[in-house]
Amino acid sequence: MEKFKKKHNYDGLLIVIEGTDGSGKSTQLELLKRSIEDQSYGVMVSEWKTSRLIAKVIDDAKDRNLLNATTYSLLYAADFADRLENTIIPALKSGFIVLLDRYYYTALARDVVRGQDIEWVKNLYEYAPEPDLIFYLDMPVDVLLKRIIGTTGLDFYESGRDVGFSTDFYKSFEIYQKKCLEEYNNMKNTYNFISIDGTKPIAEIHIIMQSEVQKILDSGVMY
Amino acid sequence: MSKLKEKHNLKGTLICVEGIDGSGKSTQLALLRDWLKSIGQDVIFTEWNSSELISKTTKLAKKKNMLSPRTFSLLHAVDFADRLKQVIDPALKAGFIVLADRYAYTAFARDVARGVDSQWVRKVYDFAIKPDLAVYFDINPKTSMERICSNRAPKFYEAGMDLKLSNDPYESYMIFQSRVIKEYQKMVDEFGLVKIDATESIHKKQTKIRELLREVLKAKGVEI
Repeated sequence: MEKFKKKHNYDGLLIVIEGTDGSGKSTQLELLKRSIEDQSYGVMVSEWKTSRLIAKVIDDAKDRNLLNATTYSLLYAADFADRLENTIIPALKSGFIVLLDRYYYTALARDVVRGQDIEWVKNLYEYAPEPDLIFYLDMPVDVLLKRIIGTTGLDFYESGRDVGFSTDFYKSFEIYQKKCLEEYNNMKNTYNFISIDGTKPIAEIHIIMQSEVQKILDSGVMY
Repeated sequence: MSKLKEKHNLKGTLICVEGIDGSGKSTQLALLRDWLKSIGQDVIFTEWNSSELISKTTKLAKKKNMLSPRTFSLLHAVDFADRLKQVIDPALKAGFIVLADRYAYTAFARDVARGVDSQWVRKVYDFAIKPDLAVYFDINPKTSMERICSNRAPKFYEAGMDLKLSNDPYESYMIFQSRVIKEYQKMVDEFGLVKIDATESIHKKQTKIRELLREVLKAKGVEI
């Protein structure tokens, strides 16, 4: 029983899926949501950068290349604070299972790659509750690059063009994503990520996640 | 270590004024600006919550009363960071006298009065450049209220209504601004703010500020 004790004192569960762009987070989140819903638990999903208030500002500022590394960090932190305090924590308090597409680990990876001091970034998020489960979809950089180019295409900030690694779009993208992966790797042990090979078939990844969640559900902490 | 405690070695000079609303700091800064311009100094003025990037969003959010203290704090930090990197830092490098109506200390006073952890917010702003002169206009909350509320009720956030201290905006204003003042007073020692009695005459205060500025510039080898 002790093993399944929640790390925060809320009634709900906090489950996070992390990984770089194109690692398959949203697909897995959707599958996980359905399988938990099927068991009559209340589920809520929240994605990175979706606060009513600030998400639009971030998009607009990105469109106009208005952001420097510090304002980039702080805007995302503000978006996170708004969602955490207005959506996530209330849901946890009322006993929901909250599934998150990215958590502050994303900020730690991206901001540090942008040259921010890690301790400064950690401080921005130090009040965030620790998740009960963190799944990390681990993807080799070459697979990742193909996936993103084949779907959404290269975006200025996602390619880290603002950091100035290279004026060549592909090159910059490669360097940026590699550095992000390095940061994620550094976090794996510190934050107890459950690392899953992202190149596995969708169904197989889902079964791994589902069984981890099921262990907690079956332990009875949610009754 | 926070840059706010280290002397900067940029060519320009950074002056900020602090204090609660109605303390007369904006008037003093405007007088100072006009005078500096008239004697041929390169001056740039910047004020709290005015960046192109975010100030409109913050104002809108305030109107709708939808901000938690932490979000409130971070949005102001975005505004500050944007102005620091786009306006203040380049101007200081170019040798301007930068006049700031409110600085990071405003966040330390207001956010902490809203219950945000004082060390947390100090760390958020640890990239801020230390001003060469930070003047704090000390006033009691009652006088401040009489000045700003002579023709209107206190606004939601300036009265700290988000903290639900009282349903009466005037009473809430008094409680909240007293807390803000308490935080400012702590910072006089912590950050070396120069305290000026806000109830003195406009002329007296302006004389004092010009004197303080002269000393700062003199130390940098500039005579005015």
